[in-house]
Amino acid sequence: MMIDFEFRKEVMDYHIGSDVIRYCYQCSRCTDNCPVSAVSKDFYGTTGYDPRQNILAALLGYKDVIFNADPLTIWGCTVCDTCDEVCPQHIELTEIFTFLKNKSTADGKAPDYLYAQAKAIFDSAKAIPSQPAIERRRDQLGIPPVVAPDVDELQTLLKNIGADKKLK
Amino acid sequence: MTEYKMFEGCTIGNRIPFIEAASRKVFDKVGIETSQAPFTCCPDPTGMKSFDNNAWLTIGARNLCLAEAEEKDIISLCNGCANTLRGVQHQLKHDSLKKAKVNKELAKIGKEFKGSIEVKHFVDVLKENLNKVKEAVTKPLSGLKVACHPGCHYMRPAEWMESDDPMRPTTLRELVKAAGATVVDYEEEVLCCGSAVTNAYQDYGMANLKTKLDSIEKAGADVIVVNCPACFQQFDTMQRDLSKKYEKEYKFPVLYITELYALAMGISPDEIGLKFHRTRLDMEKLG
Repeated sequence: MMIDFEFRKEVMDYHIGSDVIRYCYQCSRCTDNCPVSAVSKDFYGTTGYDPRQNILAALLGYKDVIFNADPLTIWGCTVCDTCDEVCPQHIELTEIFTFLKNKSTADGKAPDYLYAQAKAIFDSAKAIPSQPAIERRRDQLGIPPVVAPDVDELQTLLKNIGADKKLK
Repeated sequence: MTEYKMFEGCTIGNRIPFIEAASRKVFDKVGIETSQAPFTCCPDPTGMKSFDNNAWLTIGARNLCLAEAEEKDIISLCNGCANTLRGVQHQLKHDSLKKAKVNKELAKIGKEFKGSIEVKHFVDVLKENLNKVKEAVTKPLSGLKVACHPGCHYMRPAEWMESDDPMRPTTLRELVKAAGATVVDYEEEVLCCGSAVTNAYQDYGMANLKTKLDSIEKAGADVIVVNCPACFQQFDTMQRDLSKKYEKEYKFPVLYITELYALAMGISPDEIGLKFHRTRLDMEKLG
């Protein structure tokens, strides 16, 4: 296991509350309250999704432990933000997990549905594009059509910040 | 009278518009005025934020700019959209470096994020108008036992949602009681519906959903009431698969709080497209 100091610095810099992550004392309230840990971990915690281990590895700079592992290590998170609320040290774990996920999507290793949604947003400015059948149903229900968004403007933004390069 | 910019979101707008129909009818009865705007995807706090946080911030800030241009607050029909728009606003207001970076990008399309409007989740607006809601209820749903599921992104993270207690929420309960229905207590009320994890790891999503629904069953609820389209879909569409997987019947009807209100306000099931639900509501249970 190698410490990646650059990765460690990125983690510290990313967090909205600066270096609060340093105050993690591994109490495991995050994992104990995580709904995905509850249904994926075995008794000894050797398999399954484990937010506590992710925080430990991120804070120590053990990049390989997170990125050279089963994608479940990163993508088991269901973004329920429960860990953020139960953490006695007020660490915003979900923000750190967002950082890990963003790196994973850039590496091309995220689950397919993420690329599919990002592509739909890039192409139509909506995660779920407008469809004729639903437009008719809206009309039948007596509600106005969805106002068409400015797709060009959204594409300009995504290209300028380079997010389009992550698309598959 | 305040007029809000309606943010129906991609799921309600382009997949399950019957929820928007019920919501608009209830807003009319309660006197909540809305108008439309060419909003893009919020974007999704579980999808696009995980894909690229900068893209999430920038697209979210652009949507806020559209409402700022009209000096109107946003009313969101969806937990995810409310979470994104409030989250983007929170991060940009508390991080001047992020704000400068996002505004540099927005300047290229002739926009600037100022932070001059509020983003409200529709249940909070209904709560502010609870007296008008009660006046509009003509058919109280007495006898109906309801399990409330407010959903994660309505109340967490509390730091930027600032809406309800993140682990002991009360707003949806109050709203359900205003329709004359009975709220049942169940152990897993704040448990996630599991929508996000189901996309990649269906077995874990199903196991989580089973925990949730078993707890609701134990409490003796007739229906599940929600205020998020992602949770709605998770409950409404997954119960059949869950029944097959665990060889046990799950068929709880799922209602959006505005659908529950529409029924309590004397609006017919046909007018709000209740037939488009996968799960079926036994109308006799409505009392």
